[in-house]
Amino acid sequence: MLAYIIRRIAHLIPVLLVLTVVVFTFVELLPGNIIDTLIGTEGNDDPEVRKILEKEYGLDQPIYVRYAKWLYRAVQGDFGNSLVTRRPVSLELLSGIPATVYLALVGITLSMLIAVPLGTIAAVRRNTPVDYTAQVSSLVGISIPEFWFAILCVLFFSLYLGWLPSSGYISPFEDFWGSLQFLILPAAAVGFRQAAYTTRLTRSSMLDEMNKEYVDTARSLGLSERKVIFKYTLRNAMIPTITISGLQLANLLGGTVVLESIFAWPGIGRAIFEAILQRDYPLIQAGVLVLGVIVVVMNLLVDLTYRYLNPRVKLG
Amino acid sequence: MTDEAIKKGPEHTRRNFLTATTALAGAAVVGLPAMADARKRNPKRGGTVRFGTRDDSVGLDTHRNFIYFVSHPLSGLVGGLLDFDAEMNVVPGIASEWDSSKDLKTWTFKLRRGAEFHNGETVDANAVKWNLERIKDPKIGHSFTRSALSDLERVTVDDKYTVRCHLKDPSAAFDSNVIYYPVNLMAPGAVDKADTAPVGCGPFKFKSWKRFDTCELVRFENFWETDKEGNTLPYLDGMIGKPKKEDRVRLTALRTGEVDLIDNVAYADAPSFIKDYGKTFDTWPVPQVGTAFVSFNLKSGPFSEKNNPDALMLRTAAAHAIDHQAIHEAIFNNQGQIAKGFYSPSSPWYSKDIVSWPQYDPDKAKAMRKKAKDGDAKILIIANDSYPYMHQSGELVHAMLKDAGFNVVFEIHPTPVIQDKYNKGATPGQWDVDSSANSYRIDPDGWFSRSLLSTAPETRRRHGYKNEKVDQLILAARVERDRAKRRQMYADVDSLINKDLPLLYTHFVPLLQAGTKKVHGYKPAFTGPFQYAGGGLRTTWIDS
Repeated sequence: MLAYIIRRIAHLIPVLLVLTVVVFTFVELLPGNIIDTLIGTEGNDDPEVRKILEKEYGLDQPIYVRYAKWLYRAVQGDFGNSLVTRRPVSLELLSGIPATVYLALVGITLSMLIAVPLGTIAAVRRNTPVDYTAQVSSLVGISIPEFWFAILCVLFFSLYLGWLPSSGYISPFEDFWGSLQFLILPAAAVGFRQAAYTTRLTRSSMLDEMNKEYVDTARSLGLSERKVIFKYTLRNAMIPTITISGLQLANLLGGTVVLESIFAWPGIGRAIFEAILQRDYPLIQAGVLVLGVIVVVMNLLVDLTYRYLNPRVKLG
Repeated sequence: MTDEAIKKGPEHTRRNFLTATTALAGAAVVGLPAMADARKRNPKRGGTVRFGTRDDSVGLDTHRNFIYFVSHPLSGLVGGLLDFDAEMNVVPGIASEWDSSKDLKTWTFKLRRGAEFHNGETVDANAVKWNLERIKDPKIGHSFTRSALSDLERVTVDDKYTVRCHLKDPSAAFDSNVIYYPVNLMAPGAVDKADTAPVGCGPFKFKSWKRFDTCELVRFENFWETDKEGNTLPYLDGMIGKPKKEDRVRLTALRTGEVDLIDNVAYADAPSFIKDYGKTFDTWPVPQVGTAFVSFNLKSGPFSEKNNPDALMLRTAAAHAIDHQAIHEAIFNNQGQIAKGFYSPSSPWYSKDIVSWPQYDPDKAKAMRKKAKDGDAKILIIANDSYPYMHQSGELVHAMLKDAGFNVVFEIHPTPVIQDKYNKGATPGQWDVDSSANSYRIDPDGWFSRSLLSTAPETRRRHGYKNEKVDQLILAARVERDRAKRRQMYADVDSLINKDLPLLYTHFVPLLQAGTKKVHGYKPAFTGPFQYAGGGLRTTWIDS
């Protein structure tokens, strides 16, 4: 197991290297650059000023030189300073990551808490009103755009009932109970949408597993239905659910720009989005790198979970 | 109310006791209106306003970053050599007196004694000199801030409280360029903290900032300004900026009581909000935060005289195709007014003498387009995605030009892409028509010299317009002391613009601010700034 983890982490290095090259090249190909942003719409188009700024920000050097310098510093954990805010990039990212992680983890947990029981019951009671209700609910959940559901939640729970704040963020480390008030609506908006997908997946996986011979064998041995379903069938059926949830979590950790705007949630998504708009190269590069690491690590965790769920799964 | 506030509270002074009792006696005689007046005269010290803004600054260094005085909470901490009032007239700030030489090339500012930065440093002539020189450094000063000082050649210090600005060219508008927006003053001794904890000389001082989340400012106890009764301003203990980009999110936050004040109600919501919630909330219409227009690329393409001898005819055809009333109704929801020049009737620089642009006449537009050379050429309309009204106007212009038979396509882009297109504007196909806007300029020179004078960097970079008569008028107005004469000169320029059509003014950009009834003594300046001499958040107080 340890050798497998080390090998997977070693694989991470070339993946991230390729990622940094791609990001560097793509950002360079985008129309407009940071100098245009700094010069603004009513600025001085004096070529001398442009040269001064290019030198100041190191943009007078060829891209491969800039890339090499950036990589040299990045491997030492120094991503440089944001060209726009002039604060360390690591600080910019760290200021958004806790809010994003908090929302993503609670959202995905909520999704699992809804989807796994609902999908399982729908499969066990196939073609009954419970199954139909679960299927219709998940279809509705998939069909409703996330932002629209979020706005409905705000209108109903904040404006009409006045139970919850409509937007904003408090760190759980500052005020845990206060932070929950701000978290409920965005987490619900994230969780219900993800739950809609996961419910359908859990149901179909359960149906596949329930038709397998080992289930008939277990039943013929006289095991209780509860044991058959929860100890054997569900455990095997969870593998695709875990895969999808892992990818969903990685996706959420990348930030949800629309939800962050609706709930004024200061996450990493909006920070990276703004960095792209302003061509803030160091922040874009570090942000994408961090997201890349998150996706690869999430995949690794998902693979390790397979092994836990089904010991017959061989890693590597 | 804090202990400090109780100590300083004007309600505990003899004078205010007398004011209050007088007001009560008055109320007994003339009823509630007089009571309300008494309340206005008797503000309470303390409390914190939570201000939901559309936007936020990108960084803290107030020289490196653009600190927009309408919707960046950080602008509460900045002060300038001069200030402005509710009608956007230039008034004393850190400088209590100022004057210019006869040739308008030297401006002398006498600084107020006792004015301090938030860290206790004195705002003296050396500090002002250091600030102006720092802003002028192209490696530091934000381009917009720097452009306000483009005429400034050097700064000299006469004595501790007298500073002299020597200009390259004469300018009657220099005083309006040294108000706190954008030329603000920061403490030289705290420059190393400029990116983390900026120290200015405005009514509030910095406490904390988390971009797009919270900006906390607290009262600067030694702010130089006082109210009519001699109490120091501001009354508030502090302000908490809560940037919320989406209009509906901000409005919901106001309605649910999460903020006390918001800077911008969406045009679509404004009339119904006033009608439905006018009794629950106060609203402050801002008639002109800026001016929207459609500009034509005169450097290349079918609208450029360089390529097309009928370019003016084609621009006139396009102008005839554009229905200003439709823009007024569909985009601005009947808020604000149609623009025939840069300044709205609310502005002291407004003139009735401007000759209008070509009137809406779709048949004439079609006929002129058919007659003109390149009338069937492909036309690319672009719009910035920053503000909805810009791209919504662009969409409408696209539909109107299409109705007139123009072969048009429409693209919406973020600012860096738009700027890249401007830079490459001499290459055909980058852009032909641009739906855009410009924020209000306190002195007209800030608009005409920056965006229409043929030698101005922005003119060269964007539409490339050149008319010698326009240039002469703009340069003559810059050295004219008589305000009425200047106003007429700028009216003449706008008349020429409406004839030559490098751009077509469309609409004054309005804004509606709203707040809860707990907020008292607040009113934005008529173009939207939330702090100014004798008003805005400086004179606001809030019920606990």
